[in-house]
Amino acid sequence: MIRLLEITNHAVFWYYLASNIAYLVMLLVALRTSAMHQRHLESHGLRWIRDTPLAPPISIITPAHNEEASIRIAVGNLLQLDYPELEVIVVNDGSEDRTLEEMREEFHLRPVRAVYVAEMKSASVRGLYRSSANPRLLVVDKEPGGSKADAVNAGLNMATSPYVCIVDSDSVLERDALLRIMLPVLADPQGVVAVGGIIRVLNGSEIAKGQLRRVRLPRKSIEVIQVIEYLRAFLIGREAWGQGNMLTIISGAFGVFRTDLVRAVGGYRANAIGEDFDLVARMHRHLRQKKVDYRIHFVPDPMCWTEVPSDLKSLGRQRARWQKGLWDVLWSSRDMLFRKRYGRIGWIALPYLWLFELAAPVVEIAGLGTIVLAAALGVLSRGFFLQFLLFGYAFATVISIGSVLQEEVTYKRYNDWQDVARLVSYCFLEHFPYRQMHMVWRLRGMWQYLRGDNTWESLKRKGLESASVP
Amino acid sequence: MESGFEKLWRLGPAAFVLKAIVVAAAADALLLAFVLLRRAYRKRYFARRDARVFELRQKWEELISGQLPYNSWRKKPFDRRIVEAMVLDAFEAAGPVEAARLLKFLRTSGLIEKRIFEARNLTGWRRLRALVALGRTRAPEGIPALAEGLRDAKAETRLAALRGLARMACPQAAEEILAWVGEVGLVVPALPLQSALIQCCAERPQLLLPYVQNAVGTLREVLGRVLGEVATPSLALDLLQFVGDDLDELRAAAARALVHPQSGLALDVLNELASDPIWFVRLRAIVSLGKHSDRRAMPALLRGLTDSNRLVRLRAAEALVAAKADMAPIFSQVVASRDRYGLHAYLTAVENADLLGKLETELQESTSIEPGEKQRLHNVLRAGSLPAPDAAAPEDILKTAAALR
Repeated sequence: MIRLLEITNHAVFWYYLASNIAYLVMLLVALRTSAMHQRHLESHGLRWIRDTPLAPPISIITPAHNEEASIRIAVGNLLQLDYPELEVIVVNDGSEDRTLEEMREEFHLRPVRAVYVAEMKSASVRGLYRSSANPRLLVVDKEPGGSKADAVNAGLNMATSPYVCIVDSDSVLERDALLRIMLPVLADPQGVVAVGGIIRVLNGSEIAKGQLRRVRLPRKSIEVIQVIEYLRAFLIGREAWGQGNMLTIISGAFGVFRTDLVRAVGGYRANAIGEDFDLVARMHRHLRQKKVDYRIHFVPDPMCWTEVPSDLKSLGRQRARWQKGLWDVLWSSRDMLFRKRYGRIGWIALPYLWLFELAAPVVEIAGLGTIVLAAALGVLSRGFFLQFLLFGYAFATVISIGSVLQEEVTYKRYNDWQDVARLVSYCFLEHFPYRQMHMVWRLRGMWQYLRGDNTWESLKRKGLESASVP
Repeated sequence: MESGFEKLWRLGPAAFVLKAIVVAAAADALLLAFVLLRRAYRKRYFARRDARVFELRQKWEELISGQLPYNSWRKKPFDRRIVEAMVLDAFEAAGPVEAARLLKFLRTSGLIEKRIFEARNLTGWRRLRALVALGRTRAPEGIPALAEGLRDAKAETRLAALRGLARMACPQAAEEILAWVGEVGLVVPALPLQSALIQCCAERPQLLLPYVQNAVGTLREVLGRVLGEVATPSLALDLLQFVGDDLDELRAAAARALVHPQSGLALDVLNELASDPIWFVRLRAIVSLGKHSDRRAMPALLRGLTDSNRLVRLRAAEALVAAKADMAPIFSQVVASRDRYGLHAYLTAVENADLLGKLETELQESTSIEPGEKQRLHNVLRAGSLPAPDAAAPEDILKTAAALR
């Protein structure tokens, strides 16, 4: 028993150290990449993309389900985006509220009979509407499909552009977000098949006339901690993975894909729990099998601001769902593991996700238990126990402050001193008890997945209206 | 002998956890200090810059006219950077008279010369910045230095030089770019190169012709695409040589370039290209035919409506709707084609153009369509789908298209 505890404690220590070192390496890669990206932008600017007749058209697809509180602002925001060739397709996924009516009133929708070829599977379409006020806006009204994937597929069936951009209807894009996200595509249209943008926390900020007016840190602790999480995940994790062409997730809230490729892999998988992750994993599989030389990029500055859960219950549900999604996709991609044809995806990216993302809650909770037990039984000295906790705490804080530093030296959206001070202080506070709660939510997600409980539990949100100011 | 596992076991956490804590805590402190110091420094820097910008703005006229001695700001890098940024920003938004005045200032103050010197003699990031600034001045004397930048070993610098030349938007810049690609081939991403050439060749597109003829592979495609964008009616005869080219992109470019209606020859060629085996060649031909607004283009457009490619169908439908022709006979032909995708594409275009009412009225008032047929067309229009297959054979489309001539 004692020997077992000793081995477990050692294993937990090495696991924890390896996980943090991996993040540290990613932080260093991300800092370098961001600096290079800033220089690149400084020398090239964005105006040429806006002016060039060669910029490929983009169809933005926005699925909306019961979004009456946000839809006017969200669609208005998309129509104001800077990009030479744009169509906006809003898919009303069987909303039971006034989503469609809100759009009808705001954008003067009229019914149209357009070509609808159901190449991708989705629930049946009830009607198509085009805006008289802005002909670039098309609304697809469909029966509820029960998933975001179903709604996006309906939008894909209507898309006529070579690139599609998927945007959540509770999100707001910065005006030049499309110009920025298309930079890698324009630099290498043959090679770049998808690009992900960064998702930032909207809570606390102000929106005016469909545009973000003032960025502020949210008031509630739980929201501020999510700000740090998002900074860490995007500015460190995705930036580094993208640099190594091993990006396996492009957030469902904002990403650009080559339309023909999304169609080639059959669009979104309707029953996928993490449909965004699933799509990218299938794209990797498809392209690797075809031995295509391709790149999936992450660009850190085209910003999409989205509302995050502001109560523990909703946050817990969201994180449990993310964990289920992770497991679902990793399980369906298990045959890609350690196979030569899948290259670095099969040898590095997926094993990392299995080991340090999927297994993390199990290892961390179990590890905590065994360490406490070992300390109680005297196998582990109390001094070492405290040292171990202190080390873990200090190391994890380095990563969090690193992500704040990354934001600070590059994009610097939080201009207020007070905001930065709060952000930094939460880097120290997030580890207890939030981190442990997070692990429990993720464990719950795994348990639900094992039980086959894949129901979509709705999250409580205020809607974009709450952030808008006159 | 000690096993690997035992070695690892001996190298237990206790061996270095204390050191690790110290290192991690120090890293925390350093990162925090960096964030705070940087903030404080930037705050001070921007306050100082703002004050100086305000001061210079108060003396703007004296500064630009040269009454304010150049040496009062030129020798201080901080001031020089501010003045240059202010003048270049103003230059980009200025009208012709003001732009000329600002350019004169940039010349007489020696700022352009300085940037030319830097673009030629510095390396790396500094050279790149000089090239960007030089491009922003749009001063023709900067072209040779920018052209030298095209030959830099670093891709970033080459791109900066290319964009600088693109900003010049003049044939001299185009000549430099073309000479360079002629020498080294395609060593930058295609899109920035195309974009630069489109801007620089707009005045004299014929500059491209010898390069398109002599280039090979991807570069030929890239240049062909540019040619398609900048071609003018005067180039029509030159472009005919590319209609039968082996390169799909070049045929598409020819189709794109023949958009300018100026001879019957263009229409014949476009009609031929509208049947090309490559979909994007057909697409470009259909788009160009649509812009001709000529009744002779109708048969090809109606054929395009039944194309296997969705985009070709949609563009053909848009062209048919935009054509200045009676809608009723065209709709009759669309229905006669018995192609449901073609019908949907046409109805989509009609509805997008908000012309459904007009089509209904024209159908109602048409004297060339028999009453029974009118009713049938009305039914199709209302239902948005084809009636039972008792109607005209698909070949009828060509017959009535001929009648439309």
